[in-house]
Amino acid sequence: MPTNDELQQQLIKDLLIESAEGLDRFDREMLSLEKGEGQPETLNVVFRAIHTIKGTAGCLGLSKVESVAHVGENLLDAVRSGKLSLTQEMIGTLLCYADALREILKCLESTGNEGDKDYSALLQKLQEHQVARTTEATTPEACPAKAETSASPTWGLFDDDPLPVLSPKPESSLPASPPTRTPTAAESGPEREPAMKGPSVSDSAIRVSVDQLDKLMNLVGELVLARNQIVQYSGLIQDNSLIAASQRLNIITTELQEGVMKTRMQPIGNVWTKFPRVVRDVAHELGKKVQLVMQGNETELDRTIIEAIKDPLTHIVRNAIDHGIEMPEARAVAGKPGEGTLLLRAFHEGGQVNIEIMDDGRGMHVAKLKEKAMQKLMITAEQASRMSDREALNLIFLPGFSTAEKITNVSGRGVGMDVVKTNIEKIGGSVDILSEPNSGTTIKIKIPLTLAIIPALVVTSGGERFAIPQVSLLELVRLESDQALKGIQMLSGSPVYRLRGQLLPLCYLNKELEIEAPASSAPQGQSTTAPSSRTSDAVNIVILQADGRQFGLVVDEINDTEEIVVKPLSKQLKGLTCFAGATIMGDGRVALILDVLGLAQHANVINEVRDRSMGDKSKSGSGNTNKQTLLLFDVGKGSRLAIPLSMVARLEEFPRDRIEHSGTHRVVQYRGLILPLIRVADYVTAHGVAEEESPDIIQVVVYSEEGRSVGLVVGSISDIVEEVVNVRRDARGQGILGSAVIQDRITDLLDVSAIIQAADPNFYSQKPALELVA
Amino acid sequence: MGKTIITVDDASTMRKMISFTLKAAGHEILEAGDGVEALTTLKDRSVDLVITDVNMPNMDGITLTRNLRASQLHQKTPIILLTTESSPEKKAEGKAAGATGWVVKPFQQEQLLAVVAKVLGI
Repeated sequence: MPTNDELQQQLIKDLLIESAEGLDRFDREMLSLEKGEGQPETLNVVFRAIHTIKGTAGCLGLSKVESVAHVGENLLDAVRSGKLSLTQEMIGTLLCYADALREILKCLESTGNEGDKDYSALLQKLQEHQVARTTEATTPEACPAKAETSASPTWGLFDDDPLPVLSPKPESSLPASPPTRTPTAAESGPEREPAMKGPSVSDSAIRVSVDQLDKLMNLVGELVLARNQIVQYSGLIQDNSLIAASQRLNIITTELQEGVMKTRMQPIGNVWTKFPRVVRDVAHELGKKVQLVMQGNETELDRTIIEAIKDPLTHIVRNAIDHGIEMPEARAVAGKPGEGTLLLRAFHEGGQVNIEIMDDGRGMHVAKLKEKAMQKLMITAEQASRMSDREALNLIFLPGFSTAEKITNVSGRGVGMDVVKTNIEKIGGSVDILSEPNSGTTIKIKIPLTLAIIPALVVTSGGERFAIPQVSLLELVRLESDQALKGIQMLSGSPVYRLRGQLLPLCYLNKELEIEAPASSAPQGQSTTAPSSRTSDAVNIVILQADGRQFGLVVDEINDTEEIVVKPLSKQLKGLTCFAGATIMGDGRVALILDVLGLAQHANVINEVRDRSMGDKSKSGSGNTNKQTLLLFDVGKGSRLAIPLSMVARLEEFPRDRIEHSGTHRVVQYRGLILPLIRVADYVTAHGVAEEESPDIIQVVVYSEEGRSVGLVVGSISDIVEEVVNVRRDARGQGILGSAVIQDRITDLLDVSAIIQAADPNFYSQKPALELVA
Repeated sequence: MGKTIITVDDASTMRKMISFTLKAAGHEILEAGDGVEALTTLKDRSVDLVITDVNMPNMDGITLTRNLRASQLHQKTPIILLTTESSPEKKAEGKAAGATGWVVKPFQQEQLLAVVAKVLGI
C-alpha cells in the first residue's frame, strides 16, 4: 500500500515498538484483573491495546496479526460491554493469546514476514469462550465479521448516506453492538473524568532515538575531557578570571553530564513489568502460590545497564520460585502462609543502585551446600570446615554448582548462578547472598548507575599513566623504604604484604605489563626485594578487590582521582585482558584503564585454589563480625581519637597558606569546589589542648555525604586499625561518642555528625542526622 | 491547493501513516495523540479537516466531535471518524455528534485520499 518500501519498513518498526508496549500493558492489566483488582477503566485499556494493534496492522497489510487480533478484540469487546463476564480460564487464554501476538510480531521483526504458524486452536478456544457465554451469539464472529467488513462500503459521508438512526440490522451479530447498549467509559459523554486531567503524556514527552542519546552522551564525554584539560590548565596559570570561568565551566559541565545521563535513564520497572507474568507462569507450572511484591519501580538506571541485568534478574526470580519457595503443603507444615512472597526491591544508595530479591522460602542450609561442593570436588573437606557461612553461601556462584535435587524445566539447566554473577560483575556490579534456613533467601545486587563516565584513580608506572576504576579500589598504602623491607615478605616465591593481620598477594604493575621504569629509578622486577618506586625508595601499594578477593598492586606513583570517560579499546586491542578501555587525560594524553579482574588473573594473584587456602582472608569480608575499621588520629599532644574509616572520603594535606576565609568559615579550594574546614580541636572538650601550630602543612580528613564535603582539621593521622570495638558510653562528652581500648590505649570515638552540626547547622538540614555506628 | 488537516489517533504508527499519505498529496498535517490533545491544539486555530480515531484514551473521537461542534471556530469543520467498528450504531452515534463522514479501519491509501478529496471538495 505505501508508496515506498522504506516507509513501510519504518511504519512496521513503529508498529513493533508500539505493539510491544501495548502487549506489556495488556499483560499487566490482565494480571490485575485476575487478582480482582481491575478498575472499570482497566477493561478499556486492555481492549484498546488490542484494538490499536489490529487497526494499525490492518492498514499495514499485516493480515495475520490483524485476523488474530480481531478474534481477541471481539471477545474483549463482549466483556467490556458487559455481555460476558471474565473468568479465570478466559484470562489464561487471553494471556496465551497475547503471547501468540508477540510471537507473530517477533517473527515479523526477525524474518520480515508473519510466519506460518497456525493459531487456529487458540482462536477456536477464544471463540468458544464467547459462544459458551454469550447467549444471544449465533456464530463465532471472526471470519463473518471480516467478510462483512470487506463487503460493505469502507467509507462514506453521512449526508449522502442516510443511515437509519438506531435501527440495528437484524443480520448484524457483532458483539460490539448489543441491542441495549450501555455506554462505556471510553466512549460516553464529555462528563467523563479522565478528560479533565491535565495535558496527556504525549503532550509532555517525546520519543528520542537511542542513537541520538548515545551521540549526546559521547559529546558530553568529550566535553568532560575538555573541561578536565581546562581546569588543569587554569590551575597552572594564576589568572583569576580564567579560574572563575573554568569553575563555571566545571559546574555547568557536571550539570549537563548529569542531565544527559538522566535522559538515558530508565526506571527499573521497565524490566520488572514482565516479572508478574514470569512469576505467575512459573508458579502455575510448579503448583506453587507466589505473591510478587515490587518496591522502587521508579528507581532509574542507565539503559545499557537495564539491558545487562534483564537476564540475570529473570534467572534469579525463576530460581527463587523454583528452589526457594516451597509447595503450599510444605509451607503449611513449616507454619508459614501457603502463599509465598517474593519481594523485589530497588533503591539508590551511595551512587549505586541496589536491587534485592527476597523470598520467604526454605532458605539454604550451609552444611548441605558444603556437602554438595565436596561431592562435586569443588572444595576439600578441610576447606569446607574452615569456610565461613557467607563463603559457603557463595558456593552457589561457582560454575557447575546446582543444589536442585531434580532438574526442573524452570531452573537448573546448567546455566546457573555463576553466569548471573559473571554478567553482573561484567558491568561493575556485585552480588551477595544472605540466607536463613526456613525463613528465606535474599540476593543483593549492587550495580553502578552508568558505565560511561566513572571515577578512577590515576597512577603512574614505568613512566605511563593508568586509570583504575574506583569501584575496585579499597585503599592505598605507602611504605617508606625501611617499612617496605620489613612489610613485604616472600611466601612460596610470591611477594605478599601483611596488612592489619591479613596477607595480601602483591603484583607489580611494571612486571605484569613488562614496562620499564624510567632510567632514573632502580631496576624493576626483582621481587625478592621490594622494588623501588620512581620518586623515592617508598613503595606505593594500591589495594584492590576483584571477584571478592583482595590483592595489592605496586605502582611507581599515585597521582589523583578523576572522573574519566571510558572509551572502548579498538578491535585489535580487545583481546588484552589487562585493560578495560582507554581514556583521555587532562593534558590530552591517552591513559589505559586497568581491568582489575583481568590483571589479577593475569598475575595469578586471585587464583581460586590458592585463595581458598588462604584462611585468614575470609574475615575481612564477612559482614556479620562486629569488627570495625577505624582511622586513628590526634588533635594535639596526648589526645587519641578515632572515626570509622567508612565515613572518610579522603585524607588530604594542605599548605597552611591555602586556607582562605568565606564569611566566618575557614575554607580551602578543593577540586574546584569550596571545602569548609572544621578544627576538631575546637569542638572536642575532652581535649582542651590547642592545635599545634604545625609550620606549613595541615592534615585534613575529608568527610563527604550526599555530594557535600567538609574537611576536619586534625593534628596528625596515626594509623588505620581493624578491631572489635567495645564502646564505653560513660565517657561521653561534647563531640565524643564514647571511648574504647584500641591497640591497648584509650581512644575516644569522635561524634562526627555532632561536630559538623555544631560547626555548620545547615549541613544536615536536608536530611536526618547520620547515625554513627560505634 | 494544500489544506491543513489534523490527524488524531493514539497509535503513532497510524498517525504517521495518515500524515505521510496526506503530505504526499500536498496537505499540511498536524498530529494529536487523543481528544484532549486535539482540543488543546485546536483551541485558537482552525483547520480544514479533522480525521480522528474513535477509540482513544482520555477523550474518544465522538466526544471530541461534540466538543468541536460546540465551539464557534469548528462548527463547520469537516470531521471524519476512523473506526474498526463498522456497526450502524457507531456511525449513528458519530452522526448524532456531528461528524461529517467515516472510514473503516483498515483502509487503503486510495480510500483515505478519496474521502478526503470528497469532503474537501477537491
